[in-house]
Amino acid sequence: MRKGIIYIALFSFFALVSFTSTEPLFHVPSGWPKPSYDFSKNTLSQDKINIGRALFYSPILSKDNTISCASCHLSFTGFAHTDHDLSHGIDGKIGKRNAPALMNLAWGKTFMWDGRINHLDMQALAPISDSNEMNENIAHVVEKLNQSNLFKNLFYSAYRDSLITGERTLKCITQFMLTLVSANSKYDQVMRHEDTFSSQEKNGYLLFQKNCASCHTEPLFTNNQFANNGLQQDTVLLDNGRYAITHIASDSLTFKVPTLRNIEFTYPYMHDGRFKKLSQVLNHYTSIPQHASTLDSQLQKPIQLSANDKVDVISFLLTLTDKEFLYHPKFQYPKKLFSQSPNGL
Amino acid sequence: MRFILCFLIGCMPLCSVAQNDISISFHHQIHHQKLILNERSRISPQSDSVIITTLKYYISSIQLLWQGKTVFRESNSHHLLNIEESKSCTFPLHTPKNIHFDQMEFCVGIDSISNVSGALGGDLDPTLGMYWTWQSGYINFKLEGIHPKCPSRKNEFQFHIGGYQMPYYPLQEIKLSIPNKKQIDIYLQLEKLMANLDFKTQKSIMIPGKEAMDFSKRFTQMFSTAQ
Ligand code: HEC
Ligand code: HEC
Repeated sequence: MRKGIIYIALFSFFALVSFTSTEPLFHVPSGWPKPSYDFSKNTLSQDKINIGRALFYSPILSKDNTISCASCHLSFTGFAHTDHDLSHGIDGKIGKRNAPALMNLAWGKTFMWDGRINHLDMQALAPISDSNEMNENIAHVVEKLNQSNLFKNLFYSAYRDSLITGERTLKCITQFMLTLVSANSKYDQVMRHEDTFSSQEKNGYLLFQKNCASCHTEPLFTNNQFANNGLQQDTVLLDNGRYAITHIASDSLTFKVPTLRNIEFTYPYMHDGRFKKLSQVLNHYTSIPQHASTLDSQLQKPIQLSANDKVDVISFLLTLTDKEFLYHPKFQYPKKLFSQSPNGL
Repeated sequence: MRFILCFLIGCMPLCSVAQNDISISFHHQIHHQKLILNERSRISPQSDSVIITTLKYYISSIQLLWQGKTVFRESNSHHLLNIEESKSCTFPLHTPKNIHFDQMEFCVGIDSISNVSGALGGDLDPTLGMYWTWQSGYINFKLEGIHPKCPSRKNEFQFHIGGYQMPYYPLQEIKLSIPNKKQIDIYLQLEKLMANLDFKTQKSIMIPGKEAMDFSKRFTQMFSTAQ
């Protein structure tokens, strides 16, 4: 019943999107802004999404065929890397940052904590080439794919020729990532008048709107901007955030505002995974040292939250959990596809 | 009668749309001698010898002009030239027949819009080694080699010039007077690019920024139609 209502409420974004089943491949949830991704340059098809999913889960993208995107981005935890403060890649090498959750990427404008990737299509090149992550190069990946019967067949059915190129490989990975839409949490149901907040959640929501929503803006829970939220710089990592990309002084120590959807499962938190619990995050926001020169103006005046308020904000944050998204089989390891050739190798 | 006239006039554009390819060839030289990869050449008679191991770059947005007005603009104009593959250094321009021109304009590098348009194919395919991976953006121009003064491992130098965000947008526009012929030969004199480079201090540029901007300004001097 509830599902029925959702689908009726869906936006008429269908025109952009092709169908192979009755369910649309992508839709804009009602009341959401227009996606930033230009679908006209990469028209979705179920075949291409399937290829993207296979690529996402196949270690063929890494030099020694051991690491896949899913090694660091796990579906059950909103595609974040739970329990790892800094990501782990090839040969157990440790990266510089925490693997962020992946969802609602069609609305993203820039990617990575410092925004150094300007388009979702180009995102996969970074982990594929990073010597700490997959340590491969895209030309060799394409060569390997062209030798794989599984991928040759998949590309043939999607493109009617089995020529695998860098462009097609990247666009298929993008197609899978575009389908990762999380829009059915309790919060969403409340907004659609299908459910109601408890009084605690409601109070938390009001406090959230007052103190947090200017950066973690609804309905995406990010404004896609960069900000310094007052974290002290880690003295070992010495991460300057966006400054390393723009070399503009005011960008020093600013990071991309992350979404808070499914935040219950995407711990540890922040670009370096320094907090394990939401209570630590809230304690941070109420005790920000005022010395940081690029501290965001909205945080210059300390946030005041009582212990009870903090509990309420957290209970609101937990309403952002979307079980349908976290456990949807279409986002998980493609068992059937890989049954003949394990892991797509 | 009037009908026939209209018909004839209507046909004229059709005639001039007939295609007539012009062939452009880029020749790479040092002091008017053909550049050979992995062999020694001298930038100046007094200087040490230099070895070029890689030269790859993009030519884009090609236009032909007649008396200052554009008469032809190539569509999807992106060409990757790699001197290791001599075929890539000659390509046709599909121009209309009987076109008159006396000047050619093109850019060295990739424009900012293509830089933010996601995955592209053909000569812009990211497998071709001309796309940065740790940060988005095309490498416009890649020159690598060995110079005895380079204080680096094996005396290697690497110049990867690119970037698409102001103020560090090193796309360079080149204008050349050219003869109205079917074969257009363009010469790159690489000693002009490398003259006054202090290999002792400058051995590598790998990111967009001021250094890449300054380096790209040298491009304007190295192209000519004189052999
Ligand atoms: C070794 C672990 C690791 C692997 C493997 C990995 N990632 Fe990531 N991913 C990360 C980390 C860490 C970040 C954040 C890095 C940063 O901001 O500097 C990230 C960031 C991202 C982002 C940006 C999200 C945002 O909101 O900005 C996307 C999208 C992404 N990864 C997709 C992929 C895809 C697709 C693959 C496979 C081709 C992949 N990742 C493989 C660790 C990994
Ligand atoms: C000035 C903008 C701004 C405001 C206001 C703000 N945040 Fe943030 N928030 C950020 C930025 C930027 C980050 C990422 C910082 C980093 O990793 O360096 C972040 C990170 C977080 C994270 C970690 C997310 C993750 O996936 O790692 C949580 C949780 C969070 N904020 C909750 C809140 C709450 C709750 C409030 C209100 C009390 C709030 N924020 C107010 C900008 C803001």
